[in-house]
Amino acid sequence: MFKVIGGFIGGVVLVALLAYSYMGSLMFWEVESPFGVEETVARIQQNVQKVGNGWALSGLRNPGKAVESSGGNVLPVMMVEACSTKYSGPILKDDSVRFLSILMPCKISVYKKNDGKTYIGLMNAGLMGKMFGPMVGDIMAEVAEDQKKFILFDPNEPAPPMIKPAPPGAGGSAGASAAGGC
Amino acid sequence: MTPTSRTIKASLGVAAMLVAFNASALQAKPDAAATQAVNGGKNAHASTADHSKFKELQKNFKTGPEVTEACLLCHTEAAKQVQHTKHWTWQSLDPKTGQLRGKKNIINNYCTSVVSNEKDCMACHAGYGWKDQSFDFSVEKNVDCLICHDSTGTYRKLPGYAGHPVYKRVEFPHGSGRFVEAVDLKKVAQSIAMPSRSNCGSCHFFGGGANGAKHGDMDSSLQHPGKYLDVHMNEQGLNFSCTTCHATSSHQVSGSRYNVAAAVTGKAAIRGNVDSTPSSCQSCHGNKPHSEKMSRLNQHTDKIACQTCHIPEYARNDIGTELSWDWSKATIMDENGKRIVRKDSAGRRAFDSQKGEWKWESHVIPEYRWFNGESTYKVIGDKIDPTQTVPLSVVGGSPDDPGSRIWPTKVHRGKQPYDTVNLTLTVQHTGGEDDTALWHNYDWQKAIGTGMKAAGLPYSGQYDFVDTELTWPITHMVAPKEDALTCVQCHSKNGRLKGVPGIYMPSRDGNQWLDMIGWTVALLTLLGVLAHGAIRILTSKKEG
Repeated sequence: MFKVIGGFIGGVVLVALLAYSYMGSLMFWEVESPFGVEETVARIQQNVQKVGNGWALSGLRNPGKAVESSGGNVLPVMMVEACSTKYSGPILKDDSVRFLSILMPCKISVYKKNDGKTYIGLMNAGLMGKMFGPMVGDIMAEVAEDQKKFILFDPNEPAPPMIKPAPPGAGGSAGASAAGGC
Repeated sequence: MTPTSRTIKASLGVAAMLVAFNASALQAKPDAAATQAVNGGKNAHASTADHSKFKELQKNFKTGPEVTEACLLCHTEAAKQVQHTKHWTWQSLDPKTGQLRGKKNIINNYCTSVVSNEKDCMACHAGYGWKDQSFDFSVEKNVDCLICHDSTGTYRKLPGYAGHPVYKRVEFPHGSGRFVEAVDLKKVAQSIAMPSRSNCGSCHFFGGGANGAKHGDMDSSLQHPGKYLDVHMNEQGLNFSCTTCHATSSHQVSGSRYNVAAAVTGKAAIRGNVDSTPSSCQSCHGNKPHSEKMSRLNQHTDKIACQTCHIPEYARNDIGTELSWDWSKATIMDENGKRIVRKDSAGRRAFDSQKGEWKWESHVIPEYRWFNGESTYKVIGDKIDPTQTVPLSVVGGSPDDPGSRIWPTKVHRGKQPYDTVNLTLTVQHTGGEDDTALWHNYDWQKAIGTGMKAAGLPYSGQYDFVDTELTWPITHMVAPKEDALTCVQCHSKNGRLKGVPGIYMPSRDGNQWLDMIGWTVALLTLLGVLAHGAIRILTSKKEG
């Protein structure tokens, strides 16, 4: 009996440790981009506009600028923000999961690392959605499928121009054109 | 690297074009020199002469040389001094090899060569009238005082005028609908000042034909930099101008990429004596600059240049810098035979039928090389081996050389034409409206023929394109100390210095025997501790 309970507890601890170790990489993806930061951002923006399902760009943020203003340096980081009311609407209407608005708009991070390469960081929408019931799970599964299309690049296509945020006062929130409806 | 050498390297017509269009942008804020002059409420660098009161400067000058003649009435030795500088000669003699370098002689992989393109390139020459090989370098009135001493920001030199400013309103570029106003020489002459960032930057920020294209560590963002970009030039902080470091004596500007002070030793010195305090970090900081608490870092200074840690990336802005120029794509037109012009995602030039294809990047991680301050250059007419990438400049130095340090560099890759029979890089006539100019008629044969003839070189009539590399030491855009490289950024298997040979670096390098001895000692120590503990336990039980 002691062995069975001990084995069970040991198993639970092992699973917990494994989950703890891999949680980060399960929740978020990182993939290398074949392009530079600006071109990667521009191609993602182009894909967002092409993918349909109500997706629209809602902003482009550069967290590094705030660090520069305070006198420091970071390697480039840009966050493409996109939103689809088709997906956001049902979640925002349901009080029980409305707190998930914290995840909106959908963000795709593009950044350079010290190896000089450009990477794309994404949230694993499919996995995260499963944690919040069937309605959210179904929606996030579709979001995850669209996310994959955001980062499909055709190198034969010429680099599109990066869509820069409208200047403050030109409408929308700071750094965003507020086109996505989120 | 000095403004002198930067000017020598300043690029061809397009650079000048940008000079013209960016001069106003550079002046958008109060002049840096003026800002610097007013320090703590005191006019620290106020001149003792008000040039607007000089009767020699009350004339309505028609040309630049007329202004110079007026300047020389008082500054009798100025032109003679300038004529001994690289800003005037565009030449530099390597004292060790006797090689004549400088913009006049070298060939690069940006706009390639000034020869046969003088009318355009000389927009960045500190002189007037250099339009071909017949230019007389002894004429004093042809020295351009205003390009370095204008404080109005209105003095512009456009390509196509052989170094003269525009004396009448012109549409520029032709057909663009944009106009450059005629310069008011009287106003400029009466408003002269010590060189500011605007003056140096009007050429050096735009080398290679676009803002930031050439150097990577110099672009128009240094006109009004924040602390993050350059701790020394930070407008809200030390607010250095270029000449704070590049101290000048008799118009000779200290610090030159042709003779870089790569390994300065000794204590910090007070600037002013150019011979004993070259334009280097150590001139002010000494070669043991870190505090007692971080004294370990001082042990690095005999192998590592200050710039290696303190300029972790260059082109740290949205302007970026050009990393490659492929001339082999030039003359490719669209299906209707029309010129193609394309920009990259960040709005920088990416393709032009006139010039080829470019690649740009911001926040570039340097490539690291041993460097002793001496570089060798390919000059016009040098033989090449087209089966390999041709190094247009090679930074000297080695791990065994006590005068060498590991430096950050920018490597600009290119593909440019060469004579397949004579095995020389070709000189091509690019700018201008004549029938042989590449940018006018898109005919490589004619352009190379004219360029080689002007250079006095034989041309077989057969050309192809070869890969080239140009290496630049990086020394500007010094980051705040908090942003210097951390230990692990170099001391790791895939760290910044992973490709640098000839030096043992803990955590990067391993020695099989040393590692084995270390692990054996550690294992024996562990065994010793365990054995000791076991014996103590056993003996205590027996005694108990």
